[in-house]
Amino acid sequence: MRKPIAALAVAAALAVGAVDAQAQDRLVIAGRDAAFGTALARMVEAYQQRNPSVRIERLELPGGPLYERIALNARERARALDVVMLDDIWAPEFMANNWLADLDRLGGVPGTFVKSADAVSRNPVGTGPRFAAPMVGNVAMFAYRADLLAKHGLQAPRSWTEVAAVARTIQEREPGVAGVAFRGIRGNPIVTGFLPILGAFGGEIIDSQGRAALDSPAALAALEQFLALRPLAPRGVETWNATEVREAMEQGRIAMSAEFWPGWAGTLDDASRSRVVGNVNLVSPPGQTRGPAPMLGAWMLGVAADSPNAARALDFIRFVVSAENQKRIAIETGNPPTLAALYADADLVRQFRWYPAQLQALENAVARPRIAQWNRVEAILGEHLQMALVGQAQPREALAEANREIQRAIAR
Amino acid sequence: MRALNRPWLLLVLLAPAAALFLLLTVYPLARVFLLSFAASDHGFEGARFVGLENYAELLQGRSFRRAAWNTAFFALVATVAEVLVGLGLALLLDRAFAFRRALTLVVLAPYVLSTIVVAAIWRAWFHYDVGFLNNTLRALGLDGVPWLFDPNIALLSIALADVWQNAPFCFLILYAGLRSVPPELYEAARIDGAGAWLRFRDITLPLLLPYLFVAALMRTLDAFKLFDKVYAMTGGGPGNATETLSMHVHRLAFRFFDIGLASAAAVAMILVAGTLGAAYAVQLLRSEAR
Repeated sequence: MRKPIAALAVAAALAVGAVDAQAQDRLVIAGRDAAFGTALARMVEAYQQRNPSVRIERLELPGGPLYERIALNARERARALDVVMLDDIWAPEFMANNWLADLDRLGGVPGTFVKSADAVSRNPVGTGPRFAAPMVGNVAMFAYRADLLAKHGLQAPRSWTEVAAVARTIQEREPGVAGVAFRGIRGNPIVTGFLPILGAFGGEIIDSQGRAALDSPAALAALEQFLALRPLAPRGVETWNATEVREAMEQGRIAMSAEFWPGWAGTLDDASRSRVVGNVNLVSPPGQTRGPAPMLGAWMLGVAADSPNAARALDFIRFVVSAENQKRIAIETGNPPTLAALYADADLVRQFRWYPAQLQALENAVARPRIAQWNRVEAILGEHLQMALVGQAQPREALAEANREIQRAIAR
Repeated sequence: MRALNRPWLLLVLLAPAAALFLLLTVYPLARVFLLSFAASDHGFEGARFVGLENYAELLQGRSFRRAAWNTAFFALVATVAEVLVGLGLALLLDRAFAFRRALTLVVLAPYVLSTIVVAAIWRAWFHYDVGFLNNTLRALGLDGVPWLFDPNIALLSIALADVWQNAPFCFLILYAGLRSVPPELYEAARIDGAGAWLRFRDITLPLLLPYLFVAALMRTLDAFKLFDKVYAMTGGGPGNATETLSMHVHRLAFRFFDIGLASAAAVAMILVAGTLGAAYAVQLLRSEAR
C-alpha cells in the first residue's frame, strides 16, 4: 500500500513541477504601440532568439488602452500579464496600489540610469526600492527650425511670448509654414503640451499641500498664452497628436514645436524621411516668469505583482535595459536610452547630435505630480483645456471648472 | 400547444432561458443599480454607501449633461436621416431598371464593414488638409470644412458616417415592407387615376408604417449606444462636443475607476433607453391595432 501512495506523491510532485516549469516558459508583455512598440518588438525578437523555448506573447496598445489593460488585470488579479510597460505618470498609482513587483526583491536590475528617470522608478520617489526599470529616456524638448530663424534674422525664443512673436513673423514671411505646433487632442496630449507653459508662468496643477491649484492668476496667464498660439498653429491642431507634430516637423510644415519628445526625433536627420535634415534644433523649453523646467516623460518596464512568471519577466527587463540593447534600440529605432553613459557614446552622439543637450534636460527634468489620482486629474484638465482651445469655454471658466473637478478627484 | 396544458413542462422548457436571463441580464443590472448608490473603485469590496450622491454629482457636472445631450441629438439626427435615406433607397430599388442588382450590392456594401473600419475610412475622408471630401470641395473652388475639429459640426460629421454605414439596414427592412404590399392595390389606384404621390401617401406609407417603426426603433437604440465610431474618430472631442453617454460611462469606469459614478450614469442611460424603447413599442402596437 505504501508503494502506490509514494508513487502517487512522486507523480503529483512531478505534475506540479511540470505545471510550474510550463508557467516559467511563458511571458506575456503588455506594451505601447508606435515607435515604442517597434523598439519592444525588436527586443522580443532578440530575446526569443536567445530563449527559443519561451512562449512570448506581446500586446501592442496605444497609451489609454494600455493603462486600462494593466489596471484591469491588477484589479481583477487576473494573473494575465508578466511584463508591463508604463508611463512614469502611472507609476504613483501602480506603486501605491501594489500592482508592481519589487524588482530589488526579485533580484534587482543593474545599470546607472539618468537621475530623474531612476527616481520615478522607485517608491518612495528617489529613495525607495525599485518597482520599475526605465526604458525610454523621454524629456519634453522645444524644437525650432534653425535655418528659418537665421533666414529671417530671428533669435531662438527664450520665453513663450517670444515664441508667439517668432511664430507670427515666420507665418507672415514663409508661405506654407505654420509658426508653431503642439498636440491639441484632449487628454494626455493637450495637457502635456500645456504643462511646459504652465510651469514657465509659475502655475501648478496641485500645490505643495496637495490641493488643486489651477484657479490662479499664473495658470490663467499660462492658458491665455497657450490659446494665443492657436492662430499661429496649423488648422486642425485640435486633433493633432504625436504623429501629426512629428510629421509636420519632418516635412517642413511648421517652424517650431512647443513640445518635441526625443522619441519623435529619431528620423529628423534621416534624409529618406525628413526634408529638414540638420536644420532642427532641440533645446530645453522656454521659460517666462520662471526658468525652463523640462518635463520628464520616461517609459518604464515593470513586473506585474501577480505575474506567474516573475523571474522570467525580470530576466527580460534586464535584457532590454542592458547597455548593449539600449544602444541597439537607440540606433535602430531612435528611442532615447535611459542609461546615462550612453549619452556620451560616440556612435550615438554622431547619429543624434542633440544628445548632450538632452542629457542635460533629462538630468534637470521635472516629473509630473506624484499622486495616485494623476490619471483622472489629467483627463479632467485635458477635457477643459480643449474646451477652451475650441472656444467651448472661456479660459477662466475652464480653469475654475477643472479645478473643482480635480479637487473632488483628489479628495475621493 | 400541448405544453401549454402542462405547466411543469412549460417550466422545464423555459428554465434554461430564464436562468440565462437572470444570470446574464438581471444580475448584472441589479449589481449596477446597487453600485450606483456607492462610492467604489472596484466592486462591492471596499464600497461605501453614499445614497444619491453619485446622481447629484452627475447632474452637477457639465460633462454628463453634455454627453446626454450629444447622445439624444445624435440618436435623433442619425435615426431620421437613416430611415429617410433607407426609404429613398427602397423606393428607388423597388423599380425595375438596368444594373439594379449591382446597385443594390453597392448600397449594401457599407453595412457589412466593421464600425472600426468605417471610422478609419471616414476619418481619412474628413482630414482637413488631405481628406477626400475637402479635396473635392477645393477642386470645386470651395473652402475646406473642419469636419472633425469644429465643435459645432463634429457630431454631425460622425452622424454622416453613421448614415453611410447604417442606412442600408433601414433599406433592407423597408424594402422587405415594400415587397409585401399587394400590387393589386397600386393597380386599382392607377385605374382610379391616382398619381405617384397619392399612391405613395395613401397606400405605401400606411402599409409601411410598422416597418418604419421597427427600423426607427432599432436604429434609435443602436444610435443611443454609440461608442466605437466616436472613440475611433474624435475620442469624444473637440472639447466634449462628441462625447456620448456610452463613452462617458466607459471613461468613468475604466479610466477613472469611479465605479459608483459610472454605475449611476449607466442606470440613467438604461432608464432613457428603456423609456424610448417602450414609447416606440407602444406606437408600434397601436399602429398594428389600427
